[in-house]
Amino acid sequence: MTPILELRDIHTFIGQYHILQGVSFTAPHGAITALLGRNGAGKTTTLKTIMGLTPPRVGEIRFEGRRIDGKRPFEIAALGIGFVPEHRAIFRDLTVEENLKIAERKKGDYARKQEMIFSLFPDLKRLIHLRGANLSGGQQQMLAIARALVADNRLLLIDEPSEGLAPVVIEGLMGAIRQLTADSTVILVEQNFLVASQLAEHYVIIEEGRSVKSGRMQDLVNDRAAIHRYLGAA
Amino acid sequence: MEQMAALVRKNLVLILTLAVMLALFAAAASGMSQQDFVITLLRGLAVGALTFLVASGFSLIFGLLDVLNLAHGTLFMIGAYIGWTVYVRPDTFVDVLTPLALIISGFTLRDVWALLARRVPLSGMWGRVAPWLAIAPGALIGFGVMRGYPIASWSLENYAESPVTFSFLAGQGQRVIPAPAAFGDASPLMAFGGLILASMLVAFGMTLLRRGETLTGSRLTWRSFASFVALVIGGLVVFAVNEPLTAWLFALDTNWLFLIAVLVAVLSGMGLGALMEMTLIRPLYVRPIYQLMLTLGLSAIGIEMVRAIWGRPEFTMPKPALFAGSGAGCPAESLVLALQNSCSTMIFFGGRIRVYNEIFVPLVGLAVLIAVWLLLRRTRLGMIIRAGVQDREMVEALGINVRRVFTMVFALGVGLAALGGVLAAPSIGLSNTMGESFLLNALIALAVGGLTSYPGAAIGSLLVGMLQQFIIKYGQIGIVIPFTEIVFKPSPPLVPASTILLMVIILLILPNGLLGRKE
Repeated sequence: MTPILELRDIHTFIGQYHILQGVSFTAPHGAITALLGRNGAGKTTTLKTIMGLTPPRVGEIRFEGRRIDGKRPFEIAALGIGFVPEHRAIFRDLTVEENLKIAERKKGDYARKQEMIFSLFPDLKRLIHLRGANLSGGQQQMLAIARALVADNRLLLIDEPSEGLAPVVIEGLMGAIRQLTADSTVILVEQNFLVASQLAEHYVIIEEGRSVKSGRMQDLVNDRAAIHRYLGAA
Repeated sequence: MEQMAALVRKNLVLILTLAVMLALFAAAASGMSQQDFVITLLRGLAVGALTFLVASGFSLIFGLLDVLNLAHGTLFMIGAYIGWTVYVRPDTFVDVLTPLALIISGFTLRDVWALLARRVPLSGMWGRVAPWLAIAPGALIGFGVMRGYPIASWSLENYAESPVTFSFLAGQGQRVIPAPAAFGDASPLMAFGGLILASMLVAFGMTLLRRGETLTGSRLTWRSFASFVALVIGGLVVFAVNEPLTAWLFALDTNWLFLIAVLVAVLSGMGLGALMEMTLIRPLYVRPIYQLMLTLGLSAIGIEMVRAIWGRPEFTMPKPALFAGSGAGCPAESLVLALQNSCSTMIFFGGRIRVYNEIFVPLVGLAVLIAVWLLLRRTRLGMIIRAGVQDREMVEALGINVRRVFTMVFALGVGLAALGGVLAAPSIGLSNTMGESFLLNALIALAVGGLTSYPGAAIGSLLVGMLQQFIIKYGQIGIVIPFTEIVFKPSPPLVPASTILLMVIILLILPNGLLGRKE
């Protein structure tokens, strides 16, 4: 079966800096793949490169077998890829409802998905008329993920969902992310290895802009030496 | 209650500033008769409304695109001149339609050019030269055809046929259809073919120039072919019915003609804005200083073009019949009577006011304020604009073509400026400097109200308009300095100086303006 996403030898530059220096991996359908690595390894840039926000200079990216590198971010998103960036990036001046409605790709997307979104994140229903700026960090994160669910996305790129959140909020988010794989594939960037290992079935380790190791998460959890070497955690 | 107290604490400086301004306003009002006060207030509203039309467009563009469009004032002026042309010389307007449609036609085939550009194997030096090998001959052919293309126009050398004279005659109700311009020995078909070819060559060349960017639209769409055919056929039909169409426009009631002039000016402004954004501003989004220099340069070019086409002398645009009467029943005692008798003036609180300037223009300003507010708050485009102001990258990552939204906002902003220009023309007349003074007013209004705040633009414009008119009025009646016998009469140079002083004071107290956000 063709993987939903395939990256082949991706090189990305930001200005004069060579950030990604050879990232290659595949993400299987209907599973969560975690991108792991130390701070500054290139995980966020990898997601942005897939999304076309920092286009690659070299390499190929295929989504469902179709090349997407070189396309503009809105074209990539329109193919069915949702992006939940680091620091949430919700629109602070828009209400919760507007933040969701803006993600519609077809008229009626929001109305169709409302029930599913509010069953995943019941809090959002209560806050629907509140401005984004008035939400807590956890509520903003829920909104950011919910926003990516409004359109029919088959692949979700989620960057650091647990960052800055209280453990109890992280628990709730993890449950919601797990449920997402029923309809979509998830690529997850997560600094917290505990969270990543509990969520993801597959992993890719990125070190200094290169993908250095990948496989099944269960194997990595059992490989303490690799965890220590690449992630600095034991 | 607690929320209210927190809100007051948060906005204490703003509330105090507004209170002081209100007190000064009350003091200014008490120094003059009720009649003078009402008239000054209405005049302030009129200037404020025109300033707002420039400021709101400027604010929208700056808020979303981060572009300080210094050509905005010039585009306001161009709107006025285009409106004047449609209103006073509809024959010129009709003559221009056909070549304009044919020149645009080639650009609508962008899918074809994109596909061709992908298939042409060009690299290195050829890649750099090839676009110009299409653009240069295209521009030459277009220029050559347009030189001989018959467009009935005025003369800048002959006073009897100058814009000043045509304006005067139109104001007197003498609308004589000038002799139509004809092709003579030249073949119209050759001219049409030449313009379409020129348009195609330039459009293809420009697509080749953009090869570095992603060329979207790998498929040919029916929409582009349909637009091309519609423009060519439309252009030829207008040419075929040129004379009856011109005669119909000349015979039209001036109220309707004015409405057409306003629509054409706004649409032309929007078209110019879109063209400017797509061709000149877009490549410079990452270079703000170059953008600034570019818009400054465009402003100078725009002024020179206006001088070359319409000349340097100032002239007026006659008011439409609804606001131009002075016969029986005028000045009217009420607005209803003024409209019934088409009076140019009416009596209001014992004083005489101009219906067009002091009633119609502020009402249009108010209508635009509400319409744009509704657009921003109640439509999907408005939602995208508000989101884009905060995070463009995220909007694009949601699957929204932000570039297209940028073009639309730029077009809307320039359209508003053009609306301001054509509305100002019957009120303040047309001159080559009208854009500069309104741009300065608008910049001050935005600094006072808050650079990217739409309501701020409205409040700032209102304050600037009011302050100017009150200073002008006090220049006539004088201010008695308290505890002295001295009567101070502000001189005319104090009018612009007063608004700058207002801006400086507001910015010292509230660095982001009255309603601006912390950057």
